[in-house]
Amino acid sequence: MNDRTVAIGRALPTNGGLARVALFFTQPVNLIFVGVASVIAFLALYPSFFLLYGSLTDSPLGVPGHFTLQNYVQAYSDPTAYPLILTSFIFGIGASGLSVILALTLAWITIRTNAPFRRLFELVAIVPNILPPLLISISWVLLLNPSNGLINGILVRLFGLERGPFNIYSLPGLIFVEGLILTPLAFLIIAAALKSMDPSLEESAKTLGSGEVGVAARITFPLMRPAILAAGTLNFVRAVESFDTPAIIALPARLEVFTTKIWREALGSFPTNHNLAATYGVGILLIALIFVYLYRRFTSQVESFSTVTGKGFRPHQIDLGRWRYLASGTALLMLTLMVILPILVLLLVSVLPYYHVPTWQTWQNLTLSNFRFVVENPRVFRAFRNSMILAIVGATLCMGLAALTAYITIRTKIAARGLLEGLVFIPWAFPGTALALGLLWAYVDFPIPIYGTLWIIMIAYITRFLPYGLRAVSSTIIQIHKELEEASTVCGAGFFATFRRILVPMMRPGIMAGWIILATTFMREFSATLFLYSPGSEALGPLLYFLYLDGMRGRVAAIGLVISVISVILIAIAQRLSRWDTE
Amino acid sequence: MRKILNSFVAGLALLIFAAGPSFGQDAKLIDAAKKEGGKVVIYGSLESDSMDVVSKAFQKKTGIEVEYWRGSATKVMDRAVSEYRAGKPGFDIILTNDNPMQLMQKEGIFAKYDSPSAKDFSKDSIDPNLGPRYRNVIIGVVYNKSAISPADAPKSLEDLVNPKYKGKLVMPDPTQHTTTTQWVASLEKLMGKEKAEKYIRDLAAMKPILVESLLPAAERVSTGETPIAITYVKYAYIYGQKGAPLDYVRLGKMMGDGHYLGLGNKAPHVNAGKVFIDYFLGQESMMMIAKLGEFVNRKGVYPPLPDADKIQFVELYDLDAKGFAEKKKEYTKIFLQ
Repeated sequence: MNDRTVAIGRALPTNGGLARVALFFTQPVNLIFVGVASVIAFLALYPSFFLLYGSLTDSPLGVPGHFTLQNYVQAYSDPTAYPLILTSFIFGIGASGLSVILALTLAWITIRTNAPFRRLFELVAIVPNILPPLLISISWVLLLNPSNGLINGILVRLFGLERGPFNIYSLPGLIFVEGLILTPLAFLIIAAALKSMDPSLEESAKTLGSGEVGVAARITFPLMRPAILAAGTLNFVRAVESFDTPAIIALPARLEVFTTKIWREALGSFPTNHNLAATYGVGILLIALIFVYLYRRFTSQVESFSTVTGKGFRPHQIDLGRWRYLASGTALLMLTLMVILPILVLLLVSVLPYYHVPTWQTWQNLTLSNFRFVVENPRVFRAFRNSMILAIVGATLCMGLAALTAYITIRTKIAARGLLEGLVFIPWAFPGTALALGLLWAYVDFPIPIYGTLWIIMIAYITRFLPYGLRAVSSTIIQIHKELEEASTVCGAGFFATFRRILVPMMRPGIMAGWIILATTFMREFSATLFLYSPGSEALGPLLYFLYLDGMRGRVAAIGLVISVISVILIAIAQRLSRWDTE
Repeated sequence: MRKILNSFVAGLALLIFAAGPSFGQDAKLIDAAKKEGGKVVIYGSLESDSMDVVSKAFQKKTGIEVEYWRGSATKVMDRAVSEYRAGKPGFDIILTNDNPMQLMQKEGIFAKYDSPSAKDFSKDSIDPNLGPRYRNVIIGVVYNKSAISPADAPKSLEDLVNPKYKGKLVMPDPTQHTTTTQWVASLEKLMGKEKAEKYIRDLAAMKPILVESLLPAAERVSTGETPIAITYVKYAYIYGQKGAPLDYVRLGKMMGDGHYLGLGNKAPHVNAGKVFIDYFLGQESMMMIAKLGEFVNRKGVYPPLPDADKIQFVELYDLDAKGFAEKKKEYTKIFLQ
């Protein structure tokens, strides 16, 4: 049996001449590997090359320059750079830690318990991934700013306090908001893994006398380790490279993190210093690659995480008895923080002529003009159409590529498979705007005339967000025991038949989770889109960004709400389809 | 009566005579523009709403479609320069702040085009290479009347550093926001070098709330989160229109930045570009933009902001890359440490 497993994906021939090369290419999986590797290598290396080159030259890209290490000296000899690395690290760990704790609790309640309304909670938990992070940050500033934040105001009035107890402009404030923004991503990954878990281990523990809490602590959560680590790793890097929340909260708090530093020194400076931005990007890249390495080490004992076997199963549901209301209450509290409060603020902003702390007079001035703008403006309609195409087609293509890549990196013994995973992470590790610059330079002069079309944006999305899809699908694939593929192979099925009939259905929760993450992210992405779209291919991200830039918060909130509704419908359809398939 | 009628007819004839060649030229250009594809592509940082109004009127008048790519001044320059260097400029017109326009001019991106509409701009607002500075964005002090009564509001820039306003002031971070770096550096134009140096330190000692750019500063004042802001004066009008209780301090002299537009020297739709520039710099378009709160430079056209005609505009210092780097270093010490 083991011999057959090894046969799926041989090591690249190191000697033995043409015959061995020919043998290598007779294996369909090897052909797939070469195809996938070529696509990913091109997507990742082509724009990255321009950025690396940019960090080692003394002139802007497109202008011949000289080799120099001066950018590295300037970036890393600055003594103020080191305290901010520490702040960034605390911020990244704090935000990703908070997001994983929230996601794990929420996923456990909604998937494994009989808490009332759990299905609804599960659907709603994804909503913040749909809202542009910028909007969530602004909402929290309006709720928790020390001078007239709504929550502070209410608490001051209720308890007769001298001043509001919360101050959003602080490191805990920054971590709190970013943690909430990152929770849906962690939730999707963890929930997918939790759904595909074999309950037999839990049942064995129960038979041996463990209580529900003991099973959860000793069996369920340790088994979830790859998914937890995947979510933590992804969110750590996402927090470290995020700019929206720090721009709104860290700056008034006089905190400096890596991205605000890059902005101050390179991208926001005048004229822009792309070389320096690329140099900082390389720094973040190295940090991200260390995390990828750690992740691979954590999950190297693949077999020990295999929980989906050939035996039929149905995830075991825990009867919480009277505690189930408490569980629902906890989930509701989390969703209040993640979804309900920000959405309420957005609703308020969308019907006010300008934002202010509501008074009695406010109710006389409510307006639907922002929603009228959404319905009547042809530019908004075009942006919705473009973003829907990008979300549906882009997420589907990206998940196809992610599923194949995950299979190759986890299941085969092909020598260069680790390299493939490393390649995927390269563009993701660059800060969004720096990568967008790399993409612009890379594709502006591309021989196929795709610059300025929707296709170039789709390529950018797939390049940048492939790791999201990969993480989501990897954590499920790790849990599928090899016995299923082996059985299929033994019965005479080829690679494609096994992949299509065994692996894809088994990986479905991961694929669906990844698809949802990608589609919702593509609906609102702006940093890469901004550099690559031309007027005809404007998507929702840049539209929202420009409306925000022009101070049209009401319109931004109205469009944000419409995007949320559309995305929830999209997610509900996707989940329905995946369930229908299972039935 | 006959005299009046005669003068009217003579005036009309003069108007037709004066307008004649310009209409003739327009018609020819418009025909040529339609043969090029009937559209003009613009990269710029003029607010989308202003551009929307102008483009609609322009399209109605000429039948030429406007495609607008909007970005901050730095992003506009990044994109335009990268495309130009790659030999694939997708734009016909660039429209943004003075400093990036000058840099792009040095890069050789623009073609020289003397628009007939330029003649209605004052001589001091015409740059020999870039043509008319079509608008000024003026920075002043805006306050929220609900949070601070007009009697208690500051009356001058010097008032801003009065300890009673400590913690009540918001401004863009001068170490990060380039126009604000220029504004702080140019204070000596209003106060003289010595006084300005002391003033900058006093301002920093007020520990103002620092934000990303001029708009978030205005927003914080409009919501009442912070009572006073250093921001664009036009926001007092724009947010005022929506109902926010804002006013601005009548400082007399106020500093600001100029905006220009230029025709690309490899413009894919060169004639459409020319037609647009002629229209954009004309009376009709400038009136539309002014109505939305902009300070345009066409003679006698003002935004509907009280006392707008009394503001004396002082142009900000232009800084080069080295100048910006030095000032940022200096202000980091003063404002952040």
